[in-house]
Amino acid sequence: MRRRSWPLLSVLAFGYAFLYVPILLLILYSFNESRLVTVWSGFSFKWYGELLHNRQLLDAAWLSVRIAALNATIAVVLGTLAANALVRHGRFRGRTGLELLLTAPLVMPDVIIGLSMLLLFVALQQTIGWPDGRGFSTITIAHITFSMAYVAVVVRSRLARMDSSLEEAAMDLGARPLTVYLRITLPLIAPALLSGWLLAFTLSLDDLVIASFVSGPGATTLPMVIYSSVRMGVSPQINALASLVVALVALAVVIAGVSLRRR
Amino acid sequence: MDTLEVQPLNESRRLVPSPSDRRPLEPWQDPKAAPYVRIERVTKQFGDVYAVDDVSLNIFQGEFFSLLGSSGCGKSTLLRLLAGLEYPTSGRIYIDGVDVTDVPPYSRPVNMMFQSYALFPHMTVEQNIEFGLKQDRLPRRERAERVGEMLDLLRITELRKRRPDQLSGGQRQRVALARSLAKHPKLLLLDEPLGALDKRLRENTQFELVNLQERLGITFVTVTHDQEEAMTMSSRIAVMDAGQIMQVDTPTAIYEFPNGRFVAEFIGSVNLFEGKIVEIQGDDVLIEAQFGGLMQMRSLQPHPIGTPVVVAIRPEKLRLCQTPSDDGVNRLQGVVEDIAYLGDVSIYRIRTGGGTLVEMTLTNIQPRTEQALTWEQEVWVEWSPTSGVVLTE
Amino acid sequence: MTRLSKRSKRLRPSGEHRLSRLINIGLPYLWLGLFFLLPFAIVLRISLAEPLLAQPPYTALWEWAEQGILQIRLNLGNFQLIREDDIYLAALLNSLWVALVGTLGCLLLGYPMAYAIATAPERRRILLLMLIILPFWTSFLIRVYAWIGILNANGLLNNFLLWLGVIDTPLKILHTQTAVYIGVIYSYLPFMILPLYANLTRLDPTLLEAAADLGCRPWRAFTRVTLPLSLPGIVAGSMLVFIPVVGEFVIPDLLGSPGSLMIGKLMWTEFFANKDWPLASALAIVLLAVLVVPFVLMQRLQQDDEDGRT
Repeated sequence: MRRRSWPLLSVLAFGYAFLYVPILLLILYSFNESRLVTVWSGFSFKWYGELLHNRQLLDAAWLSVRIAALNATIAVVLGTLAANALVRHGRFRGRTGLELLLTAPLVMPDVIIGLSMLLLFVALQQTIGWPDGRGFSTITIAHITFSMAYVAVVVRSRLARMDSSLEEAAMDLGARPLTVYLRITLPLIAPALLSGWLLAFTLSLDDLVIASFVSGPGATTLPMVIYSSVRMGVSPQINALASLVVALVALAVVIAGVSLRRR
Repeated sequence: MDTLEVQPLNESRRLVPSPSDRRPLEPWQDPKAAPYVRIERVTKQFGDVYAVDDVSLNIFQGEFFSLLGSSGCGKSTLLRLLAGLEYPTSGRIYIDGVDVTDVPPYSRPVNMMFQSYALFPHMTVEQNIEFGLKQDRLPRRERAERVGEMLDLLRITELRKRRPDQLSGGQRQRVALARSLAKHPKLLLLDEPLGALDKRLRENTQFELVNLQERLGITFVTVTHDQEEAMTMSSRIAVMDAGQIMQVDTPTAIYEFPNGRFVAEFIGSVNLFEGKIVEIQGDDVLIEAQFGGLMQMRSLQPHPIGTPVVVAIRPEKLRLCQTPSDDGVNRLQGVVEDIAYLGDVSIYRIRTGGGTLVEMTLTNIQPRTEQALTWEQEVWVEWSPTSGVVLTE
Repeated sequence: MTRLSKRSKRLRPSGEHRLSRLINIGLPYLWLGLFFLLPFAIVLRISLAEPLLAQPPYTALWEWAEQGILQIRLNLGNFQLIREDDIYLAALLNSLWVALVGTLGCLLLGYPMAYAIATAPERRRILLLMLIILPFWTSFLIRVYAWIGILNANGLLNNFLLWLGVIDTPLKILHTQTAVYIGVIYSYLPFMILPLYANLTRLDPTLLEAAADLGCRPWRAFTRVTLPLSLPGIVAGSMLVFIPVVGEFVIPDLLGSPGSLMIGKLMWTEFFANKDWPLASALAIVLLAVLVVPFVLMQRLQQDDEDGRT
């Protein structure tokens, strides 16, 4: 039944074209001398140069990267704990509740998460005086809240596929539960932890809506800067930025692919 | 089929010294012998299912003990209970006189070889074997020595730097065995130790496992669904069904003297003739068979007249004659309905006058160039009083 | 072998085990309870308040009157406003419509793609799948932005069509509903393909062989065997697209027409432009109420899937 049919393959080709042509055009026009998308007036690195001197954008990027890294790290810890709970602790009380709380952030519209988080922070500030002002920490907390749900999905499926007799064997050989977890379980789910971390990092770096709600004056993330400049229309600097992002992602993929092949 | 008795050998490199050089050959026959593993009325429930149902069992030091049964009979659960990977719903488990019922697996003097082998994929063969020793915080030198000893013992030294995914099935089995033996456990549990090997390798490994066990003097408890495997290797076998132990005995006794219909049917093939005792003649009883006619059988237990019984006779204990012989005590007439040629033996199915189907095997002594017997041929099936056993259900 | 699927607890609740339970279950619960569940209660509370020119810009729901009497003031005015002013209902219906069209579009394009990937040779499957996931790793915002340059009146698509001679005058696509559809399908396509792919690869290929053996032609085998069996994947993918799109902000904001509103964008406007926090909260509550049904459906499905696998 593995015969490939023409219509199927053309839909596939169309789909990939649909996904990639916009990105490729962005990259192409990031080298365009002209400010206008329609006119090709010559090859140039001009916009990359401007990008590298855009202080505001660079600051925002640095803030976003720091938030994303901290977010990813904490989200991996919390998401892994949640996955442990769901896979290793059977039918505890409140299991359904936890599953619900871990599924909801995956689909919840950003505007709702953003608004509700902001209102929480405001209420907390009023009652206990924390957080004192909004910015780095509030954005990070908000990002962790939905990122951990994604991490939990990734780690959970890896844990569930793991042969539980490996852990039993370790215990049978004299390892206490904590040792079993550190020496056997963690090394075996490490790839899932890594992809969970990368996923959480990307999600955070990508978020405009939630960050806009929970950030305060002085804390402007990269997507917020991008948003304010693209609202004005096409901006070649953003093209250049997009190309850099794509190049970085492609590089990461190639590295991951090569290291996977080597193992 | 021979039983492989456990005999202490004077081996200088014995890992676990046995308490005495001369242990009784059959410690379970010795009323004074203290069992090494004592399972006392253990029940394990999973929800409504009784995986192990009120099981009591004694296993003696140096035994090669097998738990035999079909899948879902509770044999693996019983093994996991011994390992401490499950805790009984009720009942106690003693190992070497110590109540270990509540002892977690990592504190038990027991090691297990898992059915999937459960080799740690992120460690080399060497590291796998060393893992348990590290948990005991043995000094590095001693660990290295012990690992070397195990690699030697199982002849896998050249594999020591490999990872599990670079090993064949047979090699993995050896590594798993080495790992579970590295801590010199007094009791080794083996869950389907040969289940993942192909047939030829399995046969060789059976004998190796027995040799190893005799050499090390460790008590082995294995779980298997393969009766041939259990017969070849075990000192004793416990046949299990639906969470209960049906019979515990030596392979010979299990085969020749099953204690009931289940065991008789579970081990090998058997012909069962139902009937009722009508007369007692010394050691023998006369049974009125349902197929019509009388059978004279040796009965090990006295049964009163009128007891409904089942006579169990193995296919190879029946004689096939073309004419009735003089000394046949029990005899049935029939026609050959099916012949299955298996090479070493042939299986015949005889349809008797009463409609009963009798199965029997004949060894093919002569090269089979022509058919001695053929379909639809009239034959006689005969057996003596000692050819089978009389079972009450 | 005789391993029972229903494992009992591996350890008697020893101290160690209890601690691990506490950490594994307790910490995620605590975090999500504090930062995900509690906020909804606050949103509900504030949706019942009145806007105020103050910091924070809403009235308190309760205050201590002078004699120590607790005064609770509930204001249903926000919900009344939402019910009475047509703009909110229109925005809500439009959001649902866009989500529906977007979901159907993703399904129509995503199903054949997922099917083609799932039936591709093993070696190529990983690469094809990677190519689906890859755009997801680049910025969502930038990918939406890319379409501005394409759909513009003097954008690439129009230029291309003019060059082909298909049209004489540039089409207005940007800032129309069509642009929103394109943006939604483009952005959410991977969310449809991934669950579908996961479902289709789990499908036993011998089922189709059996169908063929029994005389079923390929197309019939597809509609009679593959399609019904992939229904869970279809529902899962559809929910992953539908629910977030209803509340989508970026796509209608950058690509949509200013005239036709979506509820997410409306919330944003009420919040940031009009500073009406209580009204924005009330809109959030309404949106949540609308999304509960598809969410429960998805959750139920996932539960079945989880149970079916163990």
